[in-house]
Amino acid sequence: MKTPIRLLIPALLTACLSTAAQAQTEIQFWMGLTGVNGELLSRFGEDFNKSQSDYRVVVSFKGQYPDQRAAAVAAYRAGNPPHIMQMFDAGSGDMMSAKGSVVPVSEVFKRAGLQFNPADFIPAARGYYGVPNGDLLSMPFNVSTTVLFYNKDAFKKAGLDADKPPQTWPELISAANKIRSTNAAACGYTTAWLAWVMLEQFSSRHNIAFGTKGNGRAGADAELTLVANPLLARQVQTLVDMQKDKSFDYGGRSNDAAAKFISGECAMFTQSSGGLAAIATGAKFQFGVSQLPYWPDAKGAPYATTIGGASLWVFNAPKRSDVEFRGVAQFLNFLRSDKVMTEWAKTTGFLPATNSAFKAMQDEGFFAKNPGRDVPILSLIAAAKGDNTNGYRFGRWTEIRDVYHDEVEKALQGKQSGAEAMLNTERRGNVLLRAFERTVN
Amino acid sequence: MQRKVVFPQKGLPYWLLAPQLAITLVFFFWPGGQAMYMSLLLQDPFGHSVQFVGLENFRLVFADEDYLQAVWRTAYFSLAVTVLAMVPGLALAVMADRVIKGGTAYTTAMLVPYAIAPAVAGVLWLFMLNPSIGVLAWWLKHAGVAWNPTLDGSDAMWLVILASAWKQVAYNFLFFLAGLQAIPKSLLEAAAIDGARPFRRFYTIVFPLLSPTTFFLLVVGLVYAFFDTFGVIDAVSQGGPASATETLVYKVYKDGIHSLDLGGSAAQSVVLMVIVVALTMIQFRFIERRVHYS
Repeated sequence: MKTPIRLLIPALLTACLSTAAQAQTEIQFWMGLTGVNGELLSRFGEDFNKSQSDYRVVVSFKGQYPDQRAAAVAAYRAGNPPHIMQMFDAGSGDMMSAKGSVVPVSEVFKRAGLQFNPADFIPAARGYYGVPNGDLLSMPFNVSTTVLFYNKDAFKKAGLDADKPPQTWPELISAANKIRSTNAAACGYTTAWLAWVMLEQFSSRHNIAFGTKGNGRAGADAELTLVANPLLARQVQTLVDMQKDKSFDYGGRSNDAAAKFISGECAMFTQSSGGLAAIATGAKFQFGVSQLPYWPDAKGAPYATTIGGASLWVFNAPKRSDVEFRGVAQFLNFLRSDKVMTEWAKTTGFLPATNSAFKAMQDEGFFAKNPGRDVPILSLIAAAKGDNTNGYRFGRWTEIRDVYHDEVEKALQGKQSGAEAMLNTERRGNVLLRAFERTVN
Repeated sequence: MQRKVVFPQKGLPYWLLAPQLAITLVFFFWPGGQAMYMSLLLQDPFGHSVQFVGLENFRLVFADEDYLQAVWRTAYFSLAVTVLAMVPGLALAVMADRVIKGGTAYTTAMLVPYAIAPAVAGVLWLFMLNPSIGVLAWWLKHAGVAWNPTLDGSDAMWLVILASAWKQVAYNFLFFLAGLQAIPKSLLEAAAIDGARPFRRFYTIVFPLLSPTTFFLLVVGLVYAFFDTFGVIDAVSQGGPASATETLVYKVYKDGIHSLDLGGSAAQSVVLMVIVVALTMIQFRFIERRVHYS
């Protein structure tokens, strides 16, 4: 089949003209979110495009955070990375060590001549994504922390007080046992993001340093210290023991366990506060939110949980023009506006990343009107701070998380104890940290 | 007696070979060479610091207990997939060979699974055997089997084996059917007249005559299980739980893409390259020549 060339000419002309008329600078934005959260973030891109005519933001999903990061790294090596990439907390250590590949957001704003004060962001986020001189390397966007979701209907069925969620691990264990013995649900408790909840957030909650050098913040020569903190092994052993009678039931890595809670199979669920929208949309029962449980015999507990979620990184590339960087700054500026931040936080369950958005939500009485929505804030901001509640910064952390998953899964299968799982994670994790140290020096 | 075709121009044969050579160079030698080169380097993901470390990546790979376990796991997985794909393939082919009416429709229906993408095949089986919603899982539960591929490693292994083998049954079926149809009917008739019963005829005549096909499918099946089951594993279990379904090829992906350990991942893929070259050589050396079709 052949198309005569003269039929193509009008089409070609139109194509040429429309390119000339647009003359917009395209800004590539790669996100790692799906579902309700991803749709809203895409809509922010469209809103920005409608609000001005110089830049066109293209929001695309290139796979979950690790896959997307691999794609971005490959694109960087080929000289054409996305302008902005959303990267989850665990990838921060690697991104920070990639000097020259990224432009600190503080500098992006400065170059574009836009006002930018890192102090506008909530302290927990500033501490996590900032450098000692106060500059922010990446812009905090979806900020979350771990919370406990619980099924109020199942609590009532089990004869538990639906308005008194468990505060401590012993309380959670006895609630889970009650739920199983009354058969109010097929499983008592499950968790998403195993390593994030049981290692990272758990450590912050008990002010545990699970690595040397200030949890890796003071240098790439840091080592893991999981064995030195027996509470970590106790926690894994608790899950192993609970797994036997399904008072805890393992639901897989990353976010997979969410289905177990939403379907009503498990009555309690620790998850990112950003998981709220999916639960609110899918759950056919009343649910409540509470803070991450703690061990009451741990000294000083409960401490604050730490930050999770993701931040926005700006890539550098040899051929990137000032105009493009200005567009990047404009879009980031749009995203951190109170209007966007408050809508984002209200819809998704993530926390407002800026102080002013937080205040705006307080002023309109959002937290008073929506009980439970202040739980992540109380847990992250209002609770007691310790030396080890500011998060961690290790290289190759995505891989070390998987080592932790691997070893804890072996323990849950009954092949080793919680203590052995921590010993093996520490040993294998330290090998990876030493390899990382060699690539940064 | 020599019959040799001689080209008048010297350049022509090279031009005729050029397209195939170009494809081989671009899609095999270039990436293969890149992998070999990268397997000798230690570098950060972004390529800022690149150090030549010689064979250190290989030494680390072979000293890694997880890698050695993955070797055994892959052998087990590949053997199970190959056998589970070949036995039903042969059984179905023998039956299809006897179908007189509607044989084409039956054969076509049998081929459908082969047209399904590995990831889709994986998801199909995942749904059927999902502990919460799967039909087969429901049966298993009522039969008193504790089925939990999310946590039980051997359950997860069987799930990926079934999904991978199911897809390959169609391929084996097709080759076995062609092999069966090439067996002279007169041989079978002669045996039948001599009083050989169907099983005896199969055992003494059909199966030996099918041996070239069987050996060919064995090698193809092993190569398939080694390299093409990535999609199934990624869709079903992502190598878990506790690495129970992490085969060599999945480990290359996980270490390279997820963990951005480029040197280690490249070293592993060089090892895989050696394995596939060895398998191909075995096929050419022993199967194509010794088990010949006469």
